[in-house]
Amino acid sequence: MTETIMTEAIKTEAIKTEMIFDAMGAVLARWTMGSAAAPAASFWRTDLGDDPTEAELRLLALAGQFLGTSVLMEPSSALRILPDIPLLPLPTMPETLRPLARRILATKKQAKVKSDLVHFLAARGWTVHPSDWMPEADDDDVPDVYASWRDWAANAASSSVARQQTDDRLTTDNWGDFWPAARKVALAELRRRDPSAARAVLEARFAGETADARWRLLSLLSERLSDDDTSFLEGIAANDRAPKVKALATSLLSRLGRGPAAGEDAAELAGFFAVKTKGLLRRVRVVQAEPLKTAAQSLRRKALFDGIDLASFSGALGLAPQELIAAWDWGADQPADAALVELIAATGADEQVTQAADAVADHGATGLVISLAMRLVPAERARHAEAALNAQGIRFELAQLIAGTAARLQGPLSAPAGNALLAALRRDDAKPSDHAEELHALGLIVSREGARRSLEQLSGAGLLQGDPRLDMLRLNAALDDKGARS
Amino acid sequence: MPDILPALDSIWETGVAIDLKAVEQLATDQSSLKAAAGLAKPAKWSGVGVSLDGALIWGECAGSGANPYRVMADLRDLGNKCTCPSRKFPCKHVLGLLWLNAEAIVPFIPADTPAWVSDWLGRRRGTSAARSASDAPSATEKDLRAARASEPEVAEDPKDLARREAQAAKRGEETERAILDALDALEQWIGDQLRMGLAGFIDDATARCRRIAARLVDGKAAVLAGRIDELPSRLLALSAGDRPRGAVVELGKLVLLARAFRAAPRDAEVRRAVAASETRETVLSDPRALRLEAHWEVLAEQVQTRRDGLVSQTTWLLNLAAAGPRFAMLLDFFPASAGRRGSVFTPGERFHGELIFYQSAQPLRALLGRRDATQAMPALEWPLPDEPTAEALTRPLLAEPWTIDIPLLLPQGRLARDDAGQTWWRSADGLTTLPLASEVDGLLCGTELTRTAAIWSGNRLAILAAQTPWGRIGGHD
Repeated sequence: MTETIMTEAIKTEAIKTEMIFDAMGAVLARWTMGSAAAPAASFWRTDLGDDPTEAELRLLALAGQFLGTSVLMEPSSALRILPDIPLLPLPTMPETLRPLARRILATKKQAKVKSDLVHFLAARGWTVHPSDWMPEADDDDVPDVYASWRDWAANAASSSVARQQTDDRLTTDNWGDFWPAARKVALAELRRRDPSAARAVLEARFAGETADARWRLLSLLSERLSDDDTSFLEGIAANDRAPKVKALATSLLSRLGRGPAAGEDAAELAGFFAVKTKGLLRRVRVVQAEPLKTAAQSLRRKALFDGIDLASFSGALGLAPQELIAAWDWGADQPADAALVELIAATGADEQVTQAADAVADHGATGLVISLAMRLVPAERARHAEAALNAQGIRFELAQLIAGTAARLQGPLSAPAGNALLAALRRDDAKPSDHAEELHALGLIVSREGARRSLEQLSGAGLLQGDPRLDMLRLNAALDDKGARS
Repeated sequence: MPDILPALDSIWETGVAIDLKAVEQLATDQSSLKAAAGLAKPAKWSGVGVSLDGALIWGECAGSGANPYRVMADLRDLGNKCTCPSRKFPCKHVLGLLWLNAEAIVPFIPADTPAWVSDWLGRRRGTSAARSASDAPSATEKDLRAARASEPEVAEDPKDLARREAQAAKRGEETERAILDALDALEQWIGDQLRMGLAGFIDDATARCRRIAARLVDGKAAVLAGRIDELPSRLLALSAGDRPRGAVVELGKLVLLARAFRAAPRDAEVRRAVAASETRETVLSDPRALRLEAHWEVLAEQVQTRRDGLVSQTTWLLNLAAAGPRFAMLLDFFPASAGRRGSVFTPGERFHGELIFYQSAQPLRALLGRRDATQAMPALEWPLPDEPTAEALTRPLLAEPWTIDIPLLLPQGRLARDDAGQTWWRSADGLTTLPLASEVDGLLCGTELTRTAAIWSGNRLAILAAQTPWGRIGGHD
């Protein structure tokens, strides 16, 4: 090959890309330091010309174009592809309703609104589209149906090799194959089907978990809790490293009537109360709080309540727990009422919680019903919410705290809160953003049919069909209620 | 719809139907009314509708920008909102919409309230302000008849015409000279940056770019000035190690653009990149402009506040037809002081309409000429990419090397991460791997992307939207 042909070749820009590429390192280095770079790109000498200033600008244009078109970054390591986001056991909500759900998720920033919406949808047999919302790995209060998404998020955040996801029944041996959220769901399911098997698995694997995980897993035992669990719980209450876990085990034991023998404290707390009799034949017992004389006394009584369980307290008064609840003089000493209700919620058996909820509802203590609501089954929650709406005239926001997200009330708008809301919306000075929370809560507690009727009544009160305050009601009215049928 | 009957009753009782008198009262001055009269014509409007309860009306009005304005009003109290940047309240578009309604110039089709109208309804502070504004006696006399009257055609004196043309030509020459001087200053500045070292330039880019941008504004190269003002933020978006390369690419493009302008100062495309864009009227009246009637999907809307105090609003559209430019970009600027503007389109929505493209070797920037009334959209799939990815990445840069943003339609692929946490798009055939501009999480990373629409900019990919087994999903930027 002669020299002439070589020159020609360069002139016709048949320069090897690699040659330019190799030179770019030096060119960039020179410019970064502020020295002339044209000498490092001799293959373009003819194009750059003789004027040094002009040559630098021409080189800049050429180099820029070369780097912009011919150089692609490459990954520095092997690429990790995440698995597909799994399909959930419940279907994705209908496409046409997604804009409503998105707006509810977007406009209300509070975590409770998001959590309420996903629980509501799950109760109706639906799930959210993953581009509208996805749980974080540690979102423990989202419905179990999202467990595989939580585990997907945990997988995405971790750098570890993916676990073998398994659909088998949870056993001691395959415990490590499950991602945490799926494992929790599997354990809960096992507990419902075979309580002893679930306890046995948990017992074998318990020590290997973190304190937070131990606490969450242990709390699953509250389902179908029985005397068979006693020795396992006693072991934890005595030996666990984490105070929080110990306290939970103690609380579960208390529900079984096996609270710690808090003899002195129980007796001291009982001393703040008196068991009297009343009625014509003096056969009806009543537990009354002794008047507190000093702030120190009230603090002491509070501290004693915090450290005790229901069975010990009632035992110290010579009563069974259900007798204590029946004989309690509700409404006479509100701090005492609140302390007892907390005690029942934390350490009472399920039937005692139900009994207490009825008792406080009879006395119109709505706030106390809320404290107990978390431990009631959905039907009970709905019943209490409806009763409080009608008898106490509470607002929908409060009723929603009692009812949760699976209530399906038929006609809450005809309750006093509904009448007040309609009247307020009709007022001349009503503002377009007023009562948004009330309308949202109404949308959560009402049945599908009730939501349709409510929308009719509200448009009668002048609300427009497109009013965003009606989003939750509209979603409810439009969403096929598949949960109620199953 | 039995459930809305009570609402309709109450509306009819209170008389929601408005008359022109109300429009007249609402107008702040005679010129608003005059402008509204000009807008009360069917051709200016699309998507005109009324809520099923008859209380809300809305429509989209072609303004001076590429994006139409979204106009909405509550007939019960004449509360209203428009996405235009006008400081007049109500603006001429609202008055025009009310005028259309009062005189039934176009049919208002009863429909479900669009989400953007509902959003506005939720943000309204109260109805009293609108009421008092309409009740208040206006300071100046306004007259509907005068507003309606069309200006008499004034016969143009040929001498005046010639004089005006001569003046315009002179102004054009002066502008051109000013721009050429400014470009000289720019090249000198670029040479200085190289001599002082790009390390220093990268550290001090904001201040240095601000200075030369100011010089370019004085030199009537306003678009170029805006671009240079944004250069530092594009550089800072890169990893520190990649910034020298980024700086060379950015500055190299500026040299190429300056040279292109010197070579063809009258070229519309180059001028658009340096000085100013043609007005809407110029584009619309250009017989050579490409007009394309097609089904379009709104990919995404990007709103960005720029250092020069302007907010840019970019709407990216995908042409669902087999042929023609694959993408269209509607670009508008308005002052940040005009406040936050509502979106004009909803990502994912589809419409049939005509776009008019600015003249270009590779048409992209466009104006919305006409948007047809909502009709049943055929269930069109996203088209296949028109060319191999490698070509799509570079072809626009061969025609217009100064281009910054290149829209791309990518074939089947998937997102993946490297050990350093950088996210990559990788084609299903494994041949192409492109780095993403920002971290993404959630669904985009956990599903097959059968098609991806993205912007390739600064050798980084920004996903606008994608088709997946979960349906169409938006990018996370």
